[in-house]
Amino acid sequence: MESLYQYAWLIPVLPLAGAMILGLGLISFNQATNTLRRPSATFIVSMLGGAMALSFAILWSQVQGHEPYLVTFEWAAAGNFHLNMGYTIDHLTSMMLVVVTTVAFLVMVYTDGYMAHDPGYVRFYAYLSLFSFSMLGLVMSPNLVQIYIFWELVGMCSYLLVGFWFDRKPAAAAAQKAFVTNRVGDFGLLLGILGLFWATNSFEFDIIGIRLQELIASGALSATLVSIFAILVFLGPVAKSAQFPLHVWLPDAMEGPTPISALIHAATMVAAGVFLIARMFPVFADIPTVMTVIAWTGALTALLGASIAMTQNDIKKGLAYSTISQLGYMVMAMGIGAYSAGLFHLMTHAYFKAMLFLGSGSVIHGMEDVVGHDPALAQDMRLMGGLRKYMPATAITFLIGCLAISGIPPFAGFWSKDEILGAAFEANPALWFIGWATAGITAFYMFRMYFSTFEGEFRGNQQELRTQIKQLSLPAFGPGAMDPHELEAHDSHEHGHHASEPHESPITMTLPLMVLAVPSLAIGLLGTPFANYFEGFVYAPGEPVPDIAEIAAEFEWSEFLPMAGSSIGIALIGITLASLMYISRKIDAGAIASQIRPLYEFSLNKWYLDDFYDRVFVRGCRRLARQVLEVDYNVVDGVVNFTGFVAVISGEGLKYFENGRAQFYALIVFFAVLGFVILSV
Amino acid sequence: MNLATFPWLTTVILFPLVASAAIPLIPDPDGKGRPIRWYALTIGLINFVMLVYGFYTQYDISSAEMQLVERYDWIPQIGLQWSVGADGLSMSLILLTGFITTLAILASWPVTFKPRLFYFLILAMYGGQIAVFAVQDLLVFFLAWELELLPVYLLLSIWGGYKRQYAATKFILYTAGSSLFILVAALAMAFFGDVVTFDMRSLMAKDYPLTFQLLVYAAFLIAYAVKLPIVPLHTWLPDAHGEATAPVHMLLAGILLKMGGYAMIRMNVEMLPDAHAKFAPALIILGVVNIIYAALTSFAQRNLKRKIAYSSISHMGFVLIGIACFTDLGMSGAVLQMVSHGLIGASLFFLVGATYDRTHTLILEEMGGVGQQMPKIFAMFTACSMASLALPGMSGFVAELMVFVGFATSDAYSFSFRLIVVCLAAIGVILTPIYLLSMLREIFYGNENKELTSHEALIDAEPREVFIIACLLIPIIGIGLYPKIMTQVYDVKTSQLIARIRTSVPSLVQTTATVPVDQTVLAPTAMQAPELKLS
Repeated sequence: MESLYQYAWLIPVLPLAGAMILGLGLISFNQATNTLRRPSATFIVSMLGGAMALSFAILWSQVQGHEPYLVTFEWAAAGNFHLNMGYTIDHLTSMMLVVVTTVAFLVMVYTDGYMAHDPGYVRFYAYLSLFSFSMLGLVMSPNLVQIYIFWELVGMCSYLLVGFWFDRKPAAAAAQKAFVTNRVGDFGLLLGILGLFWATNSFEFDIIGIRLQELIASGALSATLVSIFAILVFLGPVAKSAQFPLHVWLPDAMEGPTPISALIHAATMVAAGVFLIARMFPVFADIPTVMTVIAWTGALTALLGASIAMTQNDIKKGLAYSTISQLGYMVMAMGIGAYSAGLFHLMTHAYFKAMLFLGSGSVIHGMEDVVGHDPALAQDMRLMGGLRKYMPATAITFLIGCLAISGIPPFAGFWSKDEILGAAFEANPALWFIGWATAGITAFYMFRMYFSTFEGEFRGNQQELRTQIKQLSLPAFGPGAMDPHELEAHDSHEHGHHASEPHESPITMTLPLMVLAVPSLAIGLLGTPFANYFEGFVYAPGEPVPDIAEIAAEFEWSEFLPMAGSSIGIALIGITLASLMYISRKIDAGAIASQIRPLYEFSLNKWYLDDFYDRVFVRGCRRLARQVLEVDYNVVDGVVNFTGFVAVISGEGLKYFENGRAQFYALIVFFAVLGFVILSV
Repeated sequence: MNLATFPWLTTVILFPLVASAAIPLIPDPDGKGRPIRWYALTIGLINFVMLVYGFYTQYDISSAEMQLVERYDWIPQIGLQWSVGADGLSMSLILLTGFITTLAILASWPVTFKPRLFYFLILAMYGGQIAVFAVQDLLVFFLAWELELLPVYLLLSIWGGYKRQYAATKFILYTAGSSLFILVAALAMAFFGDVVTFDMRSLMAKDYPLTFQLLVYAAFLIAYAVKLPIVPLHTWLPDAHGEATAPVHMLLAGILLKMGGYAMIRMNVEMLPDAHAKFAPALIILGVVNIIYAALTSFAQRNLKRKIAYSSISHMGFVLIGIACFTDLGMSGAVLQMVSHGLIGASLFFLVGATYDRTHTLILEEMGGVGQQMPKIFAMFTACSMASLALPGMSGFVAELMVFVGFATSDAYSFSFRLIVVCLAAIGVILTPIYLLSMLREIFYGNENKELTSHEALIDAEPREVFIIACLLIPIIGIGLYPKIMTQVYDVKTSQLIARIRTSVPSLVQTTATVPVDQTVLAPTAMQAPELKLS
């Protein structure tokens, strides 16, 4: 058993080795490597498969009750400062390892089908593998500095993958936006880490927590200061987990290929923020201000994401806002101290949202046969409809995902969301109400998505609708992101005939969907209130080990039923509304939208946050930079040039006074030195 | 020959100089300089190997003292000595110099105009640069510093861009003018007290009054502020960098800027500790200004070379903060930042040159969409930009982190001062990716650039270029993954230095005891198997 832990470092290193070998191949033998498509993919997938097998073994050993494990070595030292790196394995890490490796594995299998015709197929696998390494390293990190290192690395992988199609300008803009927005969060995280280190002289989570309490208790440190540090650290998760107000990068990041959206921007990387909050729990839990801030940020984000998701027509953007909303739930759970519930939702969400994204990818893949390789058309739900006939496997798995996220028992999302709502009700009914209302909106927009995609008539062949959407889609891409000429360029590249009907995706794509459907259906049963195995395994540090039997004994139907009933009730209302609007069309969605025009516009324009940021930060920063450059050029350099000019003029006059001999200069230097000595003595 | 007494440093300084004198004798039948460049490369490699060998066999990294010391009387009448030596600080920069200069020779392949003179100057610089870092006599230091300017001036004014005369003149006026201050300060220090000497160790031992220290410190500071550079004495740099060819560029950014930082640590900090204690807060503020001001100007720049030039200035701000923070970690970070920027700056400037060789424009608006034709250059450019924006796993991150932690935990400054400075410096962490990533976006991303491809052949990187970048990236990533490989070279030295200057900061003597450092937590805990908290 021990050797298993000694070799646990292989889990991140295997995908890293894969990425490096492929990367070297691409740099040195580009053409040869690019022709070895399948072998490269198989190699990368099997490397990750190895990591996955190890992860399962470690999870099993941890479930059996193995001690947590820590290995460190000295990484940097200066004077009496020592910084260690290494890896740690505990319950939380082992759970995260399994979640990350399984989703990554399935996404990699799926990629083979999705990217089959892409010239960057091999490069994509190299990036995927590099990302897996970074993410696995992140969850195994034993201290804040190492977390920060991998935190940045996953950000870089996200940058590379969002900008994967680098011939597309919007992709480049989105990649940059993602990186810079995350840097804003990292700015806070870095300052927070520095502050906490200054206060406690440690980078380790539990030591920081203990020392902070001591320092506050002894009065050496004010509680306000500690709260500021903790909130600065929390800025990291705010950016990474796309919380308000730094969520704006995530929807744009959908410019990346869909497998990436599933792996990075739904299941793993964006959940890293929640993971960091979990790791920092010993610090946060004892500072009430911070917990309140976290809880309300989460609640607001949940509502914001859901309210914007309602009006999105792009299937991926809709899912992206839904991810933001669900991440809000997790963060809210952390903020009210529902540690296990938040992480449980992280796990269930990872599976069902990955499946939903991969499902949307499958839909897009099918649509591209009809409308061509144009994201504006292939992702627009107004052109879909009736796809269930053509792609049954995708439709069924997508429906399972919708049921899971809407919180219909016994699907996974019900149990985790209900646990959060239950905890929220105890903590603060206002938070519960927001979560509850959001659950209704969630059910509505998810089924709006499902119905308009898979039910009804196929609308993809309506030419006028296409041209209309194309024209409409231009401004909707956000300020300056999309150049209209690019669409024309795309058109001219298109060749060959399109099919008139979409088709089901190949087995490499549908198989991962079906595999993911299993946890989406059943994994919630690990955390039912009658037998909460999950909470028995992952529980907040410092708390007594929860006894499953005890929790089950405390369980009362009279408490559970009203809570569960109300959330199922609102979900059903949402679904019914969606079906009335988008299947039977008894209610006209357009009419409602025009009646509440301001609200509709508010949601459609993403609460106007993108415009606001663009106007204030992006343009403000550009203007400031330009002004500084002008100052640099005209004032700072101007003085120099002016001095030079004066020197030339005065030099002309002075040359009659000086004899131009070395002695003269020596004399000047001599007097200067003399002046120095005299002045100072 | 006895290895221990072999004059390693004198040899590595003189060998390239002597070898360069033989360049006129080399036959060059087609006038393109092929034999000459191979000759220069061989000399560069031999010198680098000698350097590494001497370091490997004769240098003891666990000692903070001067090593490989050689002393010869030069002009005994005025007490002038040829004395060279290296401690951790010098050694790391000498190694960097050998490495970067050799690569710069390899990067000079496209230079076909007057190859004899070009390689002569490069080899002359090779020796001169090492001399600056190695000499232990203040007057010889001044001479080496001045001699260094001449090849740069010629390299700029003959092989530069359109505005090369302007840039070269500005460079020489700025640096020669400012180095007069070195001479004045050096003479003042030499003639102070009873003994007239230029030997740095004897100068260090002299006991100067505070006013004198402050004056001399200010004089040195002006000279080194031009070189480093520190805003507002930086405006020669964008011009010089904007006009230089790629190999000269690599030397300018990779090594010449480091002379400023090196000399500041060697003279200002080591010899004038009392004045340093007074000046340090100003250095911190200048460092923060450097970081933010240069990052903003870099963002607004539309010329690629000038953009990267400003980014160099921005990165040097961390060196200033590190020097002035009175902690081991900060000083160590400052040195590491110099080494790291030497590697990263050289690689970025080399890539800018490689891109320019293909596009023949430096204006960002005229580029765009070249990524499809040049995927390898795109990949290398991305990797080096990531290194420059301090991505973890690369050297820049470690250096900046050390400076940040070193400053945040420094007990020489008040809490609020530290808070403000750290916050402002961390804004640089946001600004750096903004200008670097938008630069990448504007050069490489987007549709194929028809305007450019119609008249320029965009050929992807050749193996020589990939090799150069690989050589630079390996230490960048190596240091990033395991910083001790670099820090151990100079760690003892910086610790000794800090211990020395801390005695001159009166506020530190009392307050050092108040910071609780729990050694049991911070001590190296290698392989402590089942030991963790949750339970």
